[in-house]
Amino acid sequence: MSNPEEFEEEIRAVKEAVPEAEEAAIAGEFTRYRDEFLVPPKHALRSVIEHFQKEAGMEVNAPKSTSTRPAAKSVERFTDLSSDDTNVTIEVEVVTYVPRMQMVRGEEKQIAFGWIEDNPWEEGGQRTRWDFKDWGNHAESLSPGSVVRLEGVSVNEWNGKRSLNINQTSRVAVLRGSERKVVVAPSEPTSIERVLGMDGFATVVARVISTRPMTVNKKDGSGTIDMVKGRLADDSGTIGFACFGSFEHPVGTLLKIEGAAIRRFRNTPELNIGDRTKVEIFHDGGFASLDDLAASSVMQIGQLRDGSADVGITVQLTSWGSRNFTGKDGAEKTVWGGDAVDPTGTCRLTAWSELPIDEGSLPLAVKLSNVRVRSWQGTPDITVDRSEQVEVLDKIPWEAIDASTHSVAVDFSELLSGGSRSGVTSTATVISVASGSGIIHRCPECKKAMRDGACREHGPQEGVEDLRLRIILDDGISNGALILGRDSAEAFLGQTMADVQTATKGDDGEAFLADLRSKMLGRKHTFTGRAMIDAQGALLMADQFVLAEVDLTESANEVRERWGVFV
Amino acid sequence: MIGNQQRSRRQTAIRLFAREFYESSLPDGGQGEYDPRYVVTKLGARVNRMYVCGVVERLERRDTERGPMFSGAVRDPTGLHLWSVGSFRPELHIEMEELVARFEGGDRFLMACVGKSNHYTTEDGGFRCRMQMEDYSIIDRDVYATWLIETADQTMRRIGALGMAQSAETTDANALRDAGVPSDLIDGLGLSLNHYGEWDAEGYKVGVLQALSAAEGRVVSFEEHEAESSADSSSDEKETKAEVELPETPTESKAPSTDGIEIETVVLEIITEHAGDEGIDYDSIMKHCAQRGFTDEDSIEDAVYALRDDKCEIMEPRFGWFKSL
Repeated sequence: MSNPEEFEEEIRAVKEAVPEAEEAAIAGEFTRYRDEFLVPPKHALRSVIEHFQKEAGMEVNAPKSTSTRPAAKSVERFTDLSSDDTNVTIEVEVVTYVPRMQMVRGEEKQIAFGWIEDNPWEEGGQRTRWDFKDWGNHAESLSPGSVVRLEGVSVNEWNGKRSLNINQTSRVAVLRGSERKVVVAPSEPTSIERVLGMDGFATVVARVISTRPMTVNKKDGSGTIDMVKGRLADDSGTIGFACFGSFEHPVGTLLKIEGAAIRRFRNTPELNIGDRTKVEIFHDGGFASLDDLAASSVMQIGQLRDGSADVGITVQLTSWGSRNFTGKDGAEKTVWGGDAVDPTGTCRLTAWSELPIDEGSLPLAVKLSNVRVRSWQGTPDITVDRSEQVEVLDKIPWEAIDASTHSVAVDFSELLSGGSRSGVTSTATVISVASGSGIIHRCPECKKAMRDGACREHGPQEGVEDLRLRIILDDGISNGALILGRDSAEAFLGQTMADVQTATKGDDGEAFLADLRSKMLGRKHTFTGRAMIDAQGALLMADQFVLAEVDLTESANEVRERWGVFV
Repeated sequence: MIGNQQRSRRQTAIRLFAREFYESSLPDGGQGEYDPRYVVTKLGARVNRMYVCGVVERLERRDTERGPMFSGAVRDPTGLHLWSVGSFRPELHIEMEELVARFEGGDRFLMACVGKSNHYTTEDGGFRCRMQMEDYSIIDRDVYATWLIETADQTMRRIGALGMAQSAETTDANALRDAGVPSDLIDGLGLSLNHYGEWDAEGYKVGVLQALSAAEGRVVSFEEHEAESSADSSSDEKETKAEVELPETPTESKAPSTDGIEIETVVLEIITEHAGDEGIDYDSIMKHCAQRGFTDEDSIEDAVYALRDDKCEIMEPRFGWFKSL
């Protein structure tokens, strides 16, 4: 494989540095770098030279000589500076910046002067204002209102007044840009699709597609408030709204809603119509009709979010049953429920009134309207309150799905940026195998994992041993913690829990964990299961976990195609 | 409001090549005690946790007042990732001792490293980044190639987002979102556009190409190719250029820039033109630089070491003597 001519130049360079090194050995070293470490000879040169220098007993170059420049002085306040400081680092807010042309040693140069203030971060704190001169044309970084860190600036004293010189060699790091990031209510309308990803305030032009008056209890228990909830739509999407006070616009009205606050309930953004929101009837003959909007606002299971309301969706039921329980008021009650699927995932369905469904007719499809969604441990649960929300369809609109093997492949970041889902498969890289993977002890009372022989709630216990793996999956854009319970861990490891118990006996599982890390870190893995996603992050529960097969040539090609990078 | 949510969220491990990281000079965050600290790259990656790979090139143990620490570097197609294992991470020390012993015995290996970005200011006010290692693993060629592809992909994704951001009307978050910038890059690109000003991302694409080729098993260096293809046409130009530059005092009215890259170009030119068989000594480089109007010794020194260690354009056959490759 090695071909000395290929490395001719590099071999010559190594020979110059280490004359006694043998050419074949040098070529061997370059080959190794190329084939094992994917490093081209040019990049490997220094390492190879060092290798042979070391072998020949030569002294390897000391990396760096010492610098004679005055040490940097880092201060927080102007008052900490003396008139002869020349290499100063300080963070300031720029107040003004005035550029001007000036003759410097016979050359016309652009310089600038202005005011800066120290102590830029303390809100309302005391600040000192100094003049500065910018000799280095840092106009772009020194815009008024921005907070910057100045490095390598010097103090100038003239007639007893001190100022700062920002020199050509100074560095200016913008720590906070000058654009005030306060979102003021825009008067121009924004599409609902965009509002769903925004924070702050928004103005929309949208049609009312549902309304629901309701009464809520005040948090402090001092009474009740009447409010109206409902849904708005335009041709880009739908969003829920909540209006405190009167809302008299019937379904179908086209409204312009100006300056509504965007609030999030669980994972679902909602427009709050408050005292300062302006609501007016809007006229636009070309705006999508109520029928069009209702048809396009139908969702799929993959889009369901905890807290969604007024949802229209069609699902296939794969199981159905009922159970009885005694309510708080002592009355006997019945609740119906089952599993549902569609081509984008799986979920639960719960009904508080009897529906015309019997187990024998499954699988069948139902069309649901104005239903609400809650999530339980990552699985969305569609709640039906009244039987008129349900229409049993004659025919399943897709080829009947077998729920037991149904899982939907989802891109990892797409999965993690959405809401909780179940019945999904996704792939990402293992970035960490968390300690606490292996044999754990569970509290015999509450089944929670114990730490140091004690349960958080029930104190010191004789724990019950269990097997669990906790792994961080990360694709460079999102990350989540993946839990493998005993069954899926055993299947993944190809070991029984007893095997693992034996392997972890001597050293508290350290060697087991080290081995696992070296096998898994940096490798792509695929899991099948459910994802529970909230503001704290993502928790993935795997039914199945396997090493992903990566075709290097194919994935390199995909990247080339995706971004159009070819040699 | 959002800050509270992000505090408890685990930071995603950014994939990036060495050059994108070491060319960064913008810190962000870290004002509160528990606020994560970031280094914002020119491509708008806000780097707190990072995942990098490469062949080990340096590895040493140092004793400090607080106990032993380890520092090392791994090389990827664009340069060196410097990292350290602090004295406050004793759980990694035993394995590190073993690795140092292997390294000093002449063994070389590929490493996957996960860690946190860290930055500090040098005595002369320069901004430097490195990584605090959290976890690592010795990996095989396939895992490295997978990382190269993934990192190439994400680098291109950032280059694409930078292009969108540059076409946006302002650098405010809503404008960037409208321009199509993915949500995870909006904050970082807003900061980076304000800080780094105008620049060209073409250089980062070379790293991407190199990584993809290496992952496909074609291990080449692209700077080399470019140099070869332009060598024929430029040899004549070089002579005429040398004549023009003969006057000892610089005639150009433009004040010499202190931009690191420009100094590097000048230093490389000087070394290429003036190195004899032995190379050219450090003091002569300084003199030639002074003639061209560069007098800041520190930045020249930085340029020399960057060319030697990161870009591999020059070598130091003997201490203090340099020649180009």
